[in-house]
Amino acid sequence: MAANKSVIAPLTVTNMTVAYQKKPVVRNVSFEVTEGELIGIIGPNGAGKSTLIKAILGLQPSLSGETLVYGKPYKTQRKLVGYVPQRESVDWDFPTNALDVVMMGRYGQLGLFRRPGAKEKAIGMECLAKVGMADFAGRQISQLSGGQQQRVFLARALAQDATLYFMDEPFAGVDAATEKAIIQLLNELKRQGKTVLVVHHDLATVEQYFDSVMLLNGELVAYGPTASTFTEEMLQKAYGGRLTFLKSHASAEDEPVLIAGRG
Amino acid sequence: MKRRMPSSIKRFIMTLLFLVVPVALVVTGCGQGSGAFKDDGKLHVTATIGMISDVAKEIGGDRVEVIGLMGPGVDPHLYKASQGDIAKLEDAKVILYGGLHLEGKMTEIFEKMSKKKSVVPVTKNIPESSLLTTGDGTFDPHVWFDVKLWMSATETIRDTLIENDPAHEAEYRERTDAYLAKLEELDRYAREQIATIPEQGRVMVTAHDAFGYFGNAYAIEVVGLQGISTAAEYGSKDVTALRDMLVERGIKAVFVESSVPKKSIEAVIEGAKKLGHEVKIGGELFSDAMGESGTEEGTYIGMVRHNVDTIVGALK
Amino acid sequence: MLNLITDPNLQWILLGSMLLGISTGVVGTFAYLRKQSLIGDTLAHAALPGICIAFMLTEVKSVGLFMIGAIVAGMIATVGISWITRYSRIKQDAAMGIVLSVFFGLGIVLLTQIQHSSYGNQSGLDKFLFGQAASMTAKDVYTMTSVAVVLIVVCALLFKEFKLISFDPGYARGLGFSVATLEQLLLWLVTIAVVVGIQAVGVVLVAALLITPAVSARYWTDRLGVMTVLSGLFGALSGAIGTWVSAGTAQLPTGPLSVLTATAVFVASVLFGPQRGVIAKLVRRRTAKRDWAAENAKQTGTGVGASAKERGVSA
Repeated sequence: MAANKSVIAPLTVTNMTVAYQKKPVVRNVSFEVTEGELIGIIGPNGAGKSTLIKAILGLQPSLSGETLVYGKPYKTQRKLVGYVPQRESVDWDFPTNALDVVMMGRYGQLGLFRRPGAKEKAIGMECLAKVGMADFAGRQISQLSGGQQQRVFLARALAQDATLYFMDEPFAGVDAATEKAIIQLLNELKRQGKTVLVVHHDLATVEQYFDSVMLLNGELVAYGPTASTFTEEMLQKAYGGRLTFLKSHASAEDEPVLIAGRG
Repeated sequence: MKRRMPSSIKRFIMTLLFLVVPVALVVTGCGQGSGAFKDDGKLHVTATIGMISDVAKEIGGDRVEVIGLMGPGVDPHLYKASQGDIAKLEDAKVILYGGLHLEGKMTEIFEKMSKKKSVVPVTKNIPESSLLTTGDGTFDPHVWFDVKLWMSATETIRDTLIENDPAHEAEYRERTDAYLAKLEELDRYAREQIATIPEQGRVMVTAHDAFGYFGNAYAIEVVGLQGISTAAEYGSKDVTALRDMLVERGIKAVFVESSVPKKSIEAVIEGAKKLGHEVKIGGELFSDAMGESGTEEGTYIGMVRHNVDTIVGALK
Repeated sequence: MLNLITDPNLQWILLGSMLLGISTGVVGTFAYLRKQSLIGDTLAHAALPGICIAFMLTEVKSVGLFMIGAIVAGMIATVGISWITRYSRIKQDAAMGIVLSVFFGLGIVLLTQIQHSSYGNQSGLDKFLFGQAASMTAKDVYTMTSVAVVLIVVCALLFKEFKLISFDPGYARGLGFSVATLEQLLLWLVTIAVVVGIQAVGVVLVAALLITPAVSARYWTDRLGVMTVLSGLFGALSGAIGTWVSAGTAQLPTGPLSVLTATAVFVASVLFGPQRGVIAKLVRRRTAKRDWAAENAKQTGTGVGASAKERGVSA
């Protein structure tokens, strides 16, 4: 569907530059996102994908850059934004269970002082169910497997009921069943009109999962609908020739099949 | 997540640190003067507690310059010599100290100094039979509260001065005789005054077991809250036991000293009040140190008098 | 030991120690979970210059003033620690060590200055550092009560916030919570508990009162709320038993006895904790082994050979 210019974009980033010790990792990245899409952010290792997201969310200081969420500065719109980071670095021995963690997603809505009650618990259970973890509600987080922990944090982000989501490699290190569950979840979010940006590493599934893609390698290589942007030419540009394509002559399609690459 | 401080501010702070710290060190280091005594032909004497320096001043007169290390309110049991103190000890010809482990943390220094000069414990001539022992077998060092014993210390100080400055022997002897006479009178005064307290109430309770000799010499019972040195710990049983004793015997006053916190006594008093017996703080006593210099209580005689008057005033 | 309830001094000591135990237990839970267990030690040492300066400014030996001085110094110390961890690569433990040494060193210098000056009357200063639970009076009980109430109320009101910033501070920031402010507030609560605690058990032992009940509580529950309450209870229990034992024998200081009790509770927790305790683990393992052996025997007992082995794998 064509982007209606009178609708305010859920996310507009202008001139984002981030540096680690004077070396710029993300250089002058600007883009605008269309509502209700699943957007994949892809690029080689060290391309600055996670850094970009962290900078957008203010978790990483930036040299320059402005982030607007639905036209307003990000800081004033936090309630609308949800974030699922890469493998969480939390204390897994913390005395809390899966449901408890998911309910933390509601803390933003509750504000200062108010205690979570039955309503929050219900939302929490609902979100756990959506990620298939309803049976684990009372389980101590230290007793969950890696994939289960990831799902709990996904559920937490869902509980926030945000309209714009950032997810950093949600499919990393999860089994096929979990991956299927996650993509189903993302599609449901899309159906609800929400927007999700996903840092993704598996080039083979990009066309299947995402409406738009952002190719990043320090600088913005390309941003646009998957069909027109996720092309061999663009990919080679982003990955600097580290990809191998299999050209299938016998096939009627023009599209080469990507069989190997270091993403 | 790390917030990065602007590097200009970082640099400013680092510079500040590298400049300020060394300067501060140098300034404080230079603070103490070198050469503790005025070089003017007098005999240089460094003493520890005020009771000793006061006596030394009295019998030395113009012939000596006396520096005392421990001022009013200082606890000799816990006192640690500073760099400045070492200088004062080095520059003296004579060092006078209490001995009997009163200056518990300075033993090594005295040993070191004794190789080069006269280092004399003023209690050395007191016969062992006159000394009290504490619970753990050591001697109680608070001898100055028995004026007769302190008279012996006075004589020891005199002899030390004569040894180091024989030229003025006659003067020292004359001044000592005059001073001893005053001490005799003080001793009599104390005995008479204490005797005016009715026998049943003749008990003094203090936060510190420093008055053993006083009690012995002047016939008054002494009960303490803590052990002999101020480092001893006490527990709730000690507090309740003491309070019960006060209530039982109807003792009207307890005493605090200049070098020990009031808190321990206050708890006992408040507890007694709750049990219906009024005990008040009888006044502040001097134990390990004297009063402010320049005042009456800043001299040995004045201090003992103050203690006696305070005790008598509260218990009579 | 009816004494404890009727005897006025023992009453005060008992109440004071219990209230202190509750205070340190509750805030200690958060300190422990945030891996700031030695903050108690750091703040206690950092208090010394505050006490000295309070004395130098007012020339009065008042416990109330000392406490204010200690709290101010402690608060400055916590700001210093946060500052160091935030703006440099130095981690919490080193930051705490640095602050502890600098503040305490400064304190010793000031203390020596006071000792050698004509202020005199200063031995109350280091007595403050040794702590003396046995000399608690009604006034102390009021102080302890107010502190305990304030601490409990704030921790209850901000429970979910404290839980969040202790578990996932990054996420908390994302939600819009001012993590720095909340962390600082928590540290200040700890400071108050520590300064009040110094009076009872002294500088060196107050760290134990902060950590031990919390660690013990962890062995009995997996829920933060329960853990906090339990930690407070263990703290109170330690205070009570410490008072009780020292009330029976002379020359046994109350404060250190409370700490020893807390340690005993800890040892008991490590041994007998239902899930994580040593004995529970041993029993579980032995039961599992037994069950496994029994099941194995059952399978091979029916003599179905290979397929029995397959079935036996359904552990």
